[in-house]
Amino acid sequence: MEFVLSQLAGFGHAFAALVADPLTYLYLVFSVFLGITFGALPGLTATLAVTILTGFFGNKIPLDYSLIALLGAYVGAIYGGSYPSILLNIPGTAASAATAMDGHPLAKAGRGGEALGLTTTASFIGTIIGTLTLLIFVWALLLVSKNIASPEKALLALFGILLSGTLMSEDLVLKGWISGLIGLAMAMVGLDPLLSEPRYTFGWSYMLSGFQVVPVLMGAFAIPQIIEGLRHVEAGKVMALKGSILPNLSTVRRHLPTIGRSGVIGTGVGALPGVGEDVAGWVSYGVGKTVSKDGKNFGKGSLDGLLCSETANNACIGGALIPLLVLGIPGSPPAAALLGAFKINNVIPGPTIDPEIILRVVAILVLASLTMFLMGLFTARVFIKILKIPQTVFLPVVMVLTTIGSFSVGGGINDLYLMLGVGFVAYFMNLMKYPIAPLVIGVILGGLFDETFRRSLFLSDGDLSVFVSRPGAAILLVLNLALILSQLPPVKRLFARLKGAPA
Amino acid sequence: MEKAEDILVLRARDFWASLVLGATSVFFLWKTMDIPLWGENKAGVSGTQWYDSAAIVPLFIFVGLLCLSIALFVISVRSGGARHALGAAGIGWNPDEAFRFSTIGLILLAYVGGLVPRVDFILCSGLLITALIFGYYGGHPRRAMIACGAVCLAGFTSLLLYPAQADWNAHADDWITLGIWVALTIPVLIKARSERLLRVVPYIAVLAPFILVCAMAFGFRQNVPARGGLLFQQIEYHYYVTLRPIWKG
Repeated sequence: MEFVLSQLAGFGHAFAALVADPLTYLYLVFSVFLGITFGALPGLTATLAVTILTGFFGNKIPLDYSLIALLGAYVGAIYGGSYPSILLNIPGTAASAATAMDGHPLAKAGRGGEALGLTTTASFIGTIIGTLTLLIFVWALLLVSKNIASPEKALLALFGILLSGTLMSEDLVLKGWISGLIGLAMAMVGLDPLLSEPRYTFGWSYMLSGFQVVPVLMGAFAIPQIIEGLRHVEAGKVMALKGSILPNLSTVRRHLPTIGRSGVIGTGVGALPGVGEDVAGWVSYGVGKTVSKDGKNFGKGSLDGLLCSETANNACIGGALIPLLVLGIPGSPPAAALLGAFKINNVIPGPTIDPEIILRVVAILVLASLTMFLMGLFTARVFIKILKIPQTVFLPVVMVLTTIGSFSVGGGINDLYLMLGVGFVAYFMNLMKYPIAPLVIGVILGGLFDETFRRSLFLSDGDLSVFVSRPGAAILLVLNLALILSQLPPVKRLFARLKGAPA
Repeated sequence: MEKAEDILVLRARDFWASLVLGATSVFFLWKTMDIPLWGENKAGVSGTQWYDSAAIVPLFIFVGLLCLSIALFVISVRSGGARHALGAAGIGWNPDEAFRFSTIGLILLAYVGGLVPRVDFILCSGLLITALIFGYYGGHPRRAMIACGAVCLAGFTSLLLYPAQADWNAHADDWITLGIWVALTIPVLIKARSERLLRVVPYIAVLAPFILVCAMAFGFRQNVPARGGLLFQQIEYHYYVTLRPIWKG
């Protein structure tokens, strides 16, 4: 109890410092507005919002303000995706795909205002649940992580890449792993971290420092979306907003158990390395459908169904920051962009991170969710108007933003060539249903994996048993192997047979 | 039925992807052999052991990629993807989509490769915004072709005129780009009579890059592309010589 109170006191100080700074509000309002706009426009995603702002704000303003801008956009964009889901039946972001299942039928039934008000409230409560979990668990995990040495770090990085590859694949799991390995391979370019041996530089001095994170992020997330979005799409009919957006307190109270459960599920899924808000939304929706009394009405305009996905995808934000801050492994694709921002500010997330930064992150998340809540309730009609802007008008400006952001981080034209090259490759990978998030996570974690894997072997004089002799490493090795084995066809068949066998 | 056809197209793409991936993995495995692995002796100094060699992790990655590409190849052959890939000439990409991708690809290539390093950022970005909105709003292939032609003409002319970095500050390509931008804006304004949305294009094309480049250069004090560009050079001069002294006393 004393520990929790001391945490809350630390959070209180960080929160008060933020509230007292007038610049906080400027960055908060701007970034949350931009985030909701990105979320609301189909074709633009939360990852893109955070990535573009990383290029724009990453290392140009003090870290505190840049974190406000990035986290504000992250929270806003995940929430903003609910607007087109409810009013257009087109998910604004992948995270809001499950929201459309019940949100749109509600809007068609003339309950669009009620649906938007409830999603705003649920997103707010979800973010707070995730944030509080982050505040409490991150410290316990940081204590544990102090005992994590190179073998565990290497296996954990590998687990993050494999898990994200497994869970993000739309088609074959193999494709997720290939994507992760391509990312790892890209991270091998340049001078190696232990011996400064040049690798795959082809005599080009630019390659000696390896691929920069921000151009890779921009290329992987922005360029494919720009290419994909520049097409004629018949504008969907935005449903007229009927009813008040302000939520009915008794309705919120009635659905609190659903909101609480979905918040916990969202935070838990977010804490898994590399798994994003979309998975959180669907998992929570699936669980809700099974356990809720209203389960049979899911997909037909159930408020329970709507709240399941919307609470979980926002709660996922706090969860996704737990592995990021404790281990330096992003919990979701937007968190990967955040890691990029930390890196260009020379902050290395992990056991050695400055505890003050964690408290500030928590305080920023609380303020951002509050800003989102107020904006959602009182300026919803502005965002509904934004829904009518065609992608073909918005995306060219995004391209210019991406170009100048990517250029300014590295200050070189080669970064733009890299961004474009990665973008074209990512577009074709998307076309062939290869997930892009594992690639980016591979690029970000590649250096860590390389360094810690080789350091483990170096310290043990090449003895491979270092990966089984330490309990933590042994558990992680088993998890990695289990993850790979579970996807092999004979094992899958065996599981299917066991599942089908009578009890 | 349609889904089965989609999966067949996907497997045909997987067939080609597995071949490309396999070949790439073998190439990089061969390149990895250049990195000392077995403790070579260089100039009398003993090199690394195998276990801390810089080649060990890349070997693990590319062997893994090779194995996965073989598995993908087997899956695509077993599910009929190879037959489909070899039987039908294409990979299930319809001509409209191929045209759309090619024109956008060329525009981005001309913009990033030709214009951004050499031409004033406001001018080249204004041209890009005008071309992309005019070319792709409403889905008219002829307009996409004109837009692509305009950006490619500006981009590749600039690239050919000033290939060497030492000449990137020259202004002839800035004037050419400005001319092409104005020329492209004329059909935009003509079409704007029937398509109201096109009326905002010139405003967006001028204001968006202007605000962004000024925010980046003077707000965040960051480097911006083509600092010596036709317009930006003047903006920067007047910012420091005319405007800044007003509030700096």
